[in-house]
Amino acid sequence: TADDSGLGIDEEIKVVKKREPIPKLDDNRLLSDPGIPKLRRISKERLKFKGKGHEYGDIARMLNMYQFWLDELYPRAKFADGLAMIEKLGHSKRVQMMRKEWIDEGKPKHNAREDED
Amino acid sequence: QQTTLDEWAKDPVDPEIRAHVYSLITALGGTGDDGTYSFGDDALLCLKDLRKWLKFADGQLNRRDVARCMAEANLVKGDLLEILAKVSPKVTDDRLKHKLAVATLELLVPLTWPFEIDPVEATVNHHRHGPYIQLAQIAYKRAILQYDRTHILQTAVRIALPSMAIPLRERTPRDDGIIRIALYFIRNVVMLSPPKSVPIDIDEAEVSRSAVIDAFQQQDIFQVILSVASSIGEDFVSQDVIVLEILFYLLKGIDAEKLFMEEKKLRSKNTDELKSLIQKEKSMLAGYARHAPSRHNRFGTMIWLKRGDDEQVSTISGQDVLGKAQKSMQKMDMTKKWNKPKRPGRKTDGEQEREEFDLPVALTSSAQKHIKTFVEEFLDSSFNPLFLHLRKAIERETERVEDRHSRQFFYLVSWFLQAECARRRTMKEKAADSKSKQVLSAEDESYGLVAEVMNQETFILMNRFMQKSEDEKAWQDLNAGMKCFTQVLLTVQEMSDSAVEDDQEIAENIQNRIFYEESTHDRIVHTLRSYKDQGFGYLDAVTELSHVFLRMLERYSKQNVDMQVRSKRRARTIRKKQAEAQGEDGEPEGHVSEREDLEAAQKTVSERKFDFSRFAAKFINQSSVNTFIAFLKYYNELDLDQLKRVHRFFHRVAFKMELGVLLYRVDILQLFNKMIKGPEGLDSDSPSFKEWEEFVRHFFRTVVKRIQDRPELIVEMLFSKIPQTIFFLEHGYDRQLPTRT
Repeated sequence: TADDSGLGIDEEIKVVKKREPIPKLDDNRLLSDPGIPKLRRISKERLKFKGKGHEYGDIARMLNMYQFWLDELYPRAKFADGLAMIEKLGHSKRVQMMRKEWIDEGKPKHNAREDED
Repeated sequence: QQTTLDEWAKDPVDPEIRAHVYSLITALGGTGDDGTYSFGDDALLCLKDLRKWLKFADGQLNRRDVARCMAEANLVKGDLLEILAKVSPKVTDDRLKHKLAVATLELLVPLTWPFEIDPVEATVNHHRHGPYIQLAQIAYKRAILQYDRTHILQTAVRIALPSMAIPLRERTPRDDGIIRIALYFIRNVVMLSPPKSVPIDIDEAEVSRSAVIDAFQQQDIFQVILSVASSIGEDFVSQDVIVLEILFYLLKGIDAEKLFMEEKKLRSKNTDELKSLIQKEKSMLAGYARHAPSRHNRFGTMIWLKRGDDEQVSTISGQDVLGKAQKSMQKMDMTKKWNKPKRPGRKTDGEQEREEFDLPVALTSSAQKHIKTFVEEFLDSSFNPLFLHLRKAIERETERVEDRHSRQFFYLVSWFLQAECARRRTMKEKAADSKSKQVLSAEDESYGLVAEVMNQETFILMNRFMQKSEDEKAWQDLNAGMKCFTQVLLTVQEMSDSAVEDDQEIAENIQNRIFYEESTHDRIVHTLRSYKDQGFGYLDAVTELSHVFLRMLERYSKQNVDMQVRSKRRARTIRKKQAEAQGEDGEPEGHVSEREDLEAAQKTVSERKFDFSRFAAKFINQSSVNTFIAFLKYYNELDLDQLKRVHRFFHRVAFKMELGVLLYRVDILQLFNKMIKGPEGLDSDSPSFKEWEEFVRHFFRTVVKRIQDRPELIVEMLFSKIPQTIFFLEHGYDRQLPTRT
């Protein structure tokens, strides 16, 4: 074009500040370490059930665990909103694959086969 | 350049139009020497001219200027009603007065015609005048109802009486027109309701439904409706849809059950309601008080909330959270500012707003009494002829039948069925009561009064209507259809409990027909599953229908062990397989014959044995659970029956069908927990609380156990389950599939 001669040196450069992108709660974040892997970890460490007669307390404690976990994973969202977003992510192919894998890990057959290997 | 106030206050109406209309209104007449209204010299011509202005200037140019002018000039109250009052005593004898009255009515009807903004035709002009005209119309309604010197509505009917008296065959189109405008006038008066978008400055009680009902009673309008409706098909034909509309706007939202309660019972029911409301409020306030701060609001407490990993803390302020773990968790959540963006709800247009029949309407006790008498007389004399006639008109898709009429038809069918059942129940109770003299006659026992809507033709129409409105996503239509179907089912159930053997037989027959079509079963499952943002009224209708349908089907299939259903799909798949097999065998036949085969297969139907448990299993799946959860979210507004309905459903899911895994989701657990343990939970004194408390406790126990057995549930708890893994999560082992060799 016509401007090629000046190599564009004389042109003023406009600095446009880009807006900081809003972090999204997407499958990457959900599957990253603070996401579900962490949930699996903390649930093993922290979750203790008292059993019969303490049904409500047990469930409340479990819900609190979820709430803390979600708050750390994605502090922006309220608990209910965050849950709805995660539920929706659960429909994606990638998350479904991972879910199946996690379930299979728990299956006795799977473990047995690994032992053979 | 300076702007003056005059420039700002520009007349929204074309000044020329205003001048013309005003001069006509002035020429019409005014207060005479004797203090009453006296006509101008050419009053009749003025009325006709005014009508022409309304018709041609507004109608053809697609504007509302003239209507606005007339509203501003106080034409209705100042002139038209005065004229009617003046001519009223002699309207049937005096030809000239009758002419004047007809001309007046011809002007009143378009002026009171409910204003709507047509999305296609509307111009800026419509939007400019809309609110003003809507308010003016409410003022018209008030003036008509409260007019103290003459009965305006009655006068309107009297104008039409000479035409009504003429036998149907001899009526001229002019006569038909007069009858029509009189009926439309009545309809307009019932239909006009204060717009929600604009505040009105008159007492709403003066234009409420109760006021209309009282006026109808006082002016004998109910008698007119009854006589037109009962002789429909003989003396009246095309008026059926107008009567339908009058009935619809008169009855929508009124609680049919309450109407037929005996006064004593009603009063005690009302006190009970008040009591329970006060109780509800008390428990609500107590709930707040439990969490309210005990010191002034600048006390400035701040707490650290230790989180799982020991180093991290959250800070929360306010002493109300001290020592209350759950409360602090809730507060932590509440203080978040971001909300998940929601899709804005679909805007409901004016028509839908007016047609809204899910909003309950309260009546004064006098209006209640009057409408009850009317409904009883209507059921006794007019229900069958009118609804038979309407059904035929809808089936034939007659020109006068519009889309909204089918919706109104089905809503009214459901309304009257409910009313009839309620009436019978009170009659039976009275008869059972030894103190009263009332005895049940054979006629009282039979269901003949509503027979015309309990036949196969109506069921076919209803099924077609539901299917069509579902396909077209006309949710309000579907809502009305579902309400109708539910009432039909409930009526059939009452019939089968009847003491008369014939009734039992008829009920059996009807059930046979309803349950015979598999497509009906599938449709109900499908509507339940595909709920999405259609609003509370729809949600109530869809859950009620599924509940009633499932329960009755269960009962019926238990009584009729070898029940058969007509199934279409099955035939198709079998034929398809056959076709495939043939295709493999005889390649040369090619695709053409295969398609023909399939087409033929689609039409064939086969009968097969009905298996209830298989059908019930279809009801239980993730989407129907979601629908019921959406309904349960309103738990604080649900009444006992509704709470029970939800309870039965979840009980079926969790324990009868052993598919509790569908409910293992954090949001559902949280909802259950909140319902029982609060804050803002279910009122613990409410009768259904105990039932729910037990269910939730029981359910939570199974959840805890399951998680201990299968830790992978912790993750799965976040999501809706994939069908492949449901069985494993529930039972802990994979389903044994027959291995293929």
